[in-house]
Amino acid sequence: MKVDFWGQEFEVNMVVGCIGGFLIAVLSSMFGFGGGPFMVPLMTVALRLPMYLVVGSSLLAIFFSTTVSTMRHYQFGNFDLIFFLAMFPAALLGGYIGPQIAKRVSPLVVKRVACCGLVVLALNLLGVY
Amino acid sequence: MKKKTGVLPWLFSAMVVIFGVHVATAAEPGATAGAGQVVAGTMTAPTIIIDKTEINNGGVIKVSGQAPAGKPVFLEVWAVEHMVRANRFDSDIDKDSGKRPYIFYSTSEMPAYYKTFVPKELQPKIDAAKKEGKKWSYSALLKDLGADIAYSIPAKAKVEHYQSTLMASVIGSRGDLLPAMDEKETRKRSMQLVKARFQSIDKVVAAAVDVKPDGSYTADIKISDGLAPGKYKIVAVVDKKVKSEAATFENKISFPTMYLSNAGTSMNLIYPFVLSLAVSIFGVLMGAGGGFIMNPLLLALFPVLPHTIVAGTVTPTVLFSQGSGIFNYSKIKFISWKLGSGIGCAMLLGAFIGPKLTEMITLDQFKFAFGWILLILAALMLWQTTPGYMAKNKKEQSILKEFKKRAEETAKGKN
Repeated sequence: MKVDFWGQEFEVNMVVGCIGGFLIAVLSSMFGFGGGPFMVPLMTVALRLPMYLVVGSSLLAIFFSTTVSTMRHYQFGNFDLIFFLAMFPAALLGGYIGPQIAKRVSPLVVKRVACCGLVVLALNLLGVY
Repeated sequence: MKKKTGVLPWLFSAMVVIFGVHVATAAEPGATAGAGQVVAGTMTAPTIIIDKTEINNGGVIKVSGQAPAGKPVFLEVWAVEHMVRANRFDSDIDKDSGKRPYIFYSTSEMPAYYKTFVPKELQPKIDAAKKEGKKWSYSALLKDLGADIAYSIPAKAKVEHYQSTLMASVIGSRGDLLPAMDEKETRKRSMQLVKARFQSIDKVVAAAVDVKPDGSYTADIKISDGLAPGKYKIVAVVDKKVKSEAATFENKISFPTMYLSNAGTSMNLIYPFVLSLAVSIFGVLMGAGGGFIMNPLLLALFPVLPHTIVAGTVTPTVLFSQGSGIFNYSKIKFISWKLGSGIGCAMLLGAFIGPKLTEMITLDQFKFAFGWILLILAALMLWQTTPGYMAKNKKEQSILKEFKKRAEETAKGKN
């Protein structure tokens, strides 16, 4: 598939994109996360697309899957309104505060901290400790 | 579908009438607990007295009473006002036929709290069952403790079961609704659902009843915090048909602790608020939605929350931040709609199946798979901090900035 973006044309391998997107969607909807950190590498590394094309478009693709997965979770009665209302305003607030702090911290440090945090959480879930 | 469900309540109530007559009479309101009555033959029904009728988000209730001498006394405690869903997907190989049944069991009438208190001498048996690890069987444990005679409330739940097929799972349906099960089968399956819902042995049985040789008994019933509010009932049981009347107490909770009706637990809402705030800020900093960290954190910090609720409630939270992101990018025309919706359509299918799978797997499978996903993600993050990637990323980011600037200017020019 050919994609036009700001005067440049890109050839996208939709077979790889769709299979990868499908798998990411299954996992992300199953475990209830967005899927961005997997989607961006898929599009940049596997599809060889430039970052400036990927940032917006991957968000749109993920939005599709999150919408459907929200509906399905709601249908199965997995959605708890009060719990949601406790988290949602905080998430909005975080969305405002976050970018202001972002200017002052190095992304490298954040990523390394995130990396350690994820390993700790993963080992906790796997029951290692 | 409507028609089928219309018949089921009748079948169910018929079942209750046949099976639960004695329980129904025992639970008659108005009668003061304490007066013993002759129920079956010569055996006198136990009496029950509780020291208080109200606790505040958990507490200890002292139960005492008189039972026939020489008989073990079991206390069946359950939440009356709140019920939750419990699911179980049976894919274990059947011993007789050697085939996997792939039957999905589901009920929405599981008490939000259900626990059997057994005589203190039985503690070693509970410990032995705990050694089996995650494969413990609730029905075998009850039988071993002799507590199966006290198992009555979840057995009355309406359990629906569906024959799943691989194809049905792919399109995300539960499969075909099978005809209602008989009383015995419902009892058996409800026990499996009790385990699926409450997970650990400590949540469903405890050795706390102190029975004296003359038949008098005392017990400290510990109700932990974070449980469903409202009325609870306690019944002392010495035999299948020999039970005391139900003693009732109320578990009160007050704001900011609130009851999460779908999760079946109550929770101080300040915790998820603070957690969500911290995680979303961090999510912005590392350039990923907060869902990755939020989910495992919630699971690790609040084991009372079912994983289905965690996944199902965090997802819509993520949705809004994505929506605002898309809005911002679309204002400056920085989204390729063709590419986004192309891959988005494939993702639609995937997202249709995912939530179904959440429901089918157990908490342990969920944790196992999520653990590995997080490890992969950590590896991805680590890779993004390597010098090679950083150099490339720097170039990419500067191109990104330039294009974005151009887009912003174009958008402004049009206004």
